[in-house]
Order: sequence, then structure tokens, then C-alpha cells
Amino acid sequence: MPLEGLKGRKALVTGAASGIGAAIAARLRKEGVEVVSTDIHAAPGLRVADLTDADDVEKLSGSVGVPDFLVNVAGGPAAPTREHTLPPIPGAIALEDLNEKDWNGVIAANLTSAFLVCREFAPRMKARKFGRIVNFASIAARRGSDRVGVHYAAAKGGIIGLTKTLALELGPHGITVNAIAPGFIKTPRIEAAGWGDAGAAFIESLPLKRAGKPDDIAGVVAMLCSEAGGYVSGATIDVNGGWYFGP
Amino acid sequence: MKVAIVTGAAKPDSIGHEVARRLLKEGTQVVVADLYEEGFSALRECFCVRCDVSDPSSVQEMIEKAVKRFSRIDILVNCVGGSWGITRKDLAASPPLGFRGLTNCSLEDWRTIVAANLDSVFYCARAAAPHLKKQGGAIVNVASVAARKGIPPGSEGSSGPYAVAKAGVMGLTRQLALELGPFGVRVNCVAPGVIASGRLKKVLEITQQDHGPEGSLKTIPMGRVGTVDECAALIVALCTEDTSYMTGVTVDANGASYAA
Repeated sequence: MPLEGLKGRKALVTGAASGIGAAIAARLRKEGVEVVSTDIHAAPGLRVADLTDADDVEKLSGSVGVPDFLVNVAGGPAAPTREHTLPPIPGAIALEDLNEKDWNGVIAANLTSAFLVCREFAPRMKARKFGRIVNFASIAARRGSDRVGVHYAAAKGGIIGLTKTLALELGPHGITVNAIAPGFIKTPRIEAAGWGDAGAAFIESLPLKRAGKPDDIAGVVAMLCSEAGGYVSGATIDVNGGWYFGP
Repeated sequence: MKVAIVTGAAKPDSIGHEVARRLLKEGTQVVVADLYEEGFSALRECFCVRCDVSDPSSVQEMIEKAVKRFSRIDILVNCVGGSWGITRKDLAASPPLGFRGLTNCSLEDWRTIVAANLDSVFYCARAAAPHLKKQGGAIVNVASVAARKGIPPGSEGSSGPYAVAKAGVMGLTRQLALELGPFGVRVNCVAPGVIASGRLKKVLEITQQDHGPEGSLKTIPMGRVGTVDECAALIVALCTEDTSYMTGVTVDANGASYAA
């Protein structure tokens, strides 16, 4: 069924080189949205930016203009750098093995980036009295996770707090702010990390009996940006096949 | 062709009415289950069945009629609800005056309100489940922000039992998600805040325009109440492939007035 309110709008999607971000960009384009994609990893048709760097964010904004939809996908359990834009996703990391460099890197890649991008673009949305911001949390922040370190869970928990507070701050200006908390989504990077099969017992334990696909997340982003999301704000939407139901 | 049952869709200016209209527009066959027969003439393209959703035998009969007519059920949307206007007797009534909490609640009110808001969802889901399981599908329940934050004493137009029953709907959503997920049936819930329905208009008539059933309208961060269109679009999206990996989830649509 078609979603109202998407056609002719403009979106900025971060972390759009592959996986969930790429699926979101493709879905929004299919709905007639003009999409600007960005990532730290170069790929055809997208702008390269390091969103943990305020100067880079400012430069990016100069070429983007005013988006109607801001979709902050950039992040992950391993922090990319300009030199190593696609670091392998690590396995479980025990607290005592987590060094400050990795802590700071993952907090910056997931949380500081969303802060900087929102700070850059929200004032322009305010001026237009319209905007939809979709941030990315994770099931790691909702129920905890034994697959990623505390740095990733903490950064994604920070996204939920940022989302709720921005919803209050930007609500009077016609801007909704929500987060999506994906569960186990089979992306190429997750498969490369060896999580692809995830264990048949785990998949069987999910009410929907399957891993998620990037398109499963893209549909929810489209919903939140459409008329259907008009009065949804401050929410964190769990998209995980029934793995965890939220608070 | 997909077949949807929408309860509580007969009153104009209601969320259910708009859900039925939208599903119809997308080529879904729509069964409207409602006590408000006066509204059926405005829903001629739907298969309207008089049904008291708080009565299990009436629900069973409605489901049987739907299946006899269309041979299948793909979607169930449970929109019936409210603290008043929910029995044959008071269907078209205005809200009763005064705050109705739990401590000043009559047993009769408790039973009537819980039956209409919670028992009804159980009866409809239980009766529709065997048909939904055949090919998969979706259930969407409608809870309320009242389940998240309660009804502030002094408010008019809602009630304590309503807040409790709607919290029950959220729990029921999770339980059904576990039981029906393996059959490809997703079960989700929408918890609306204050929505500009015909029901709200009646409340505002008695509260001097600035006090909704869940408290002051001035404290909503988005600075406005929600529209029936927004709420119906969200419910319909939860019936579609856009939300194919969501189940057991309650989506709050309250203009940032309560972040769960």
C-alpha cells in the first residue's frame, strides 16, 4: 500500500554505502524522494564525509541544503577511520579487554556523529517548520547484547536519550524525532563477520523464525517519514522479529 | 484479494472508520464489525456486521459470517474502545460528567469498560486466529497513551479502567505475537495520544476546549493533537510489508507527550 507524504521530499541518509543505509536510500528513492547519501566509505553516488568531525559535517551541509528527512544510520560496533573505512565487525568483547581508544571511537562513530548531524540540520528544519529525524539505536541498547561490547550498547542507549530529548525540543517546530532499534539484520558486513548463520537455535527462538533483511528496516523508515509517522515522536521502534518487545 | 476485519469502524470521524476507508481504497475486502448500525449506510462498500465485541458469541458469529462471505481473513484491526459510548444503550451518548478513576469506580463501569476494551480484543483475536494462521497476516490493536501514563485525576471523558484495560491490550499484543509469529501472523499495537476524532470533540464540548481526556492539551510537545488520518495511516502501515519484521511492538503516536 502506498505511503502518503514522501513524494517530492528530500532526504539525507548517513551510513548509506551498504547494508541498512543503502536499503533505506533505495526505498526512499523508489517513493519519489530525492536522496542525498553519505558515508565515510566511498561508493558510487554518495558523498564521503567523516561525521565525527564537525568540519566535515559543516562541509556536507553546504552541499545538501535543507533535508525534509534526516536518517542517521552511520555507526556500528567497530569505528571506521578515514584510513580504514570498513573495519571488520568484532565478536564479543569483555569489559576488561575494552580499551579507551575503542570506547571513544565507537561512542564517536555512533553517538557524536548523530549529535553533530542533528545540530547541523535541525535549525534548517525548524526554519521550515517541518522535519522527520530517524536515528538508529539497537537491540543492544534495549535488552543488552552478548555479541557486542558495552561501548556499542552505551552509544546506542545514548541515541535513545538524544532522540527523546530532541523530540521534546523540536516538537514545537513541527519536527518528529524517533529511533529504530533493529534486532538481528543480515547485512553483508554482518555476514562477513561470521554472524550470518547466527545459530539455527537462535533463529528458531524468534517468533518470526527468520533473520531480518535491510529492507525490513527500510520499510519502517519510510513509514516514519510518511503521513503514518506524523504524530509519532520520541519513540524507539523495535524491529527485531519479536526478539524483544520494548519497555 | 485480502480480507480485513475492522471493529469499531462505523462511527464517522473515528479512527476505525478511516482505517476501513483506507484498506478499501487499497483493494482490500473490509468487514466492519460494530454495534452502531446507524453508520453502516456510509460504508456501503464494506460488509457491515452488527456485532457486540464484548460478547464472545456475537464475535464468533461475526467471524463466521465474514469467512462465509470471503473465505479468508488476512487482517484484524481492533479499534473498538473508549470509556463511554461502548454499549448499545449509550452508543450515541455524550461522555458522563466527572472524573472516573479506579477508587471511585463502580463494579458495573469496571466490567463494561474492561469488556469493551480488553475482552473484545481477546475474543476477536481468538476467533480470527485459525483463519489468519492459514496464510499469515497481521493483527493491529489500538491501545492508548493512557496505558503508559494513567488518567490524571480531574480529567473528563476517560477513566481509570480504560487506562488499565489498554495496558492489558499491550500485554495481549505481546502474548499473541509469540503464539502467532510462527504462523506468519504479526501482532502489533498503536498507542495513540489525543486524536481529533468525533469522540474528542464531544469531550472538548464539556471541558472548555483545552483539556483532553488525558490532561491539558497545552502540554503536548508537538503543540497539537493528532489527526485521524495520521493514526489510521500508521495502523494500515502495520498491516503491510513495510513492517514485515515487527511483531509484539506497541508504537506510541502521541506527539512526543510520553516517550516509553
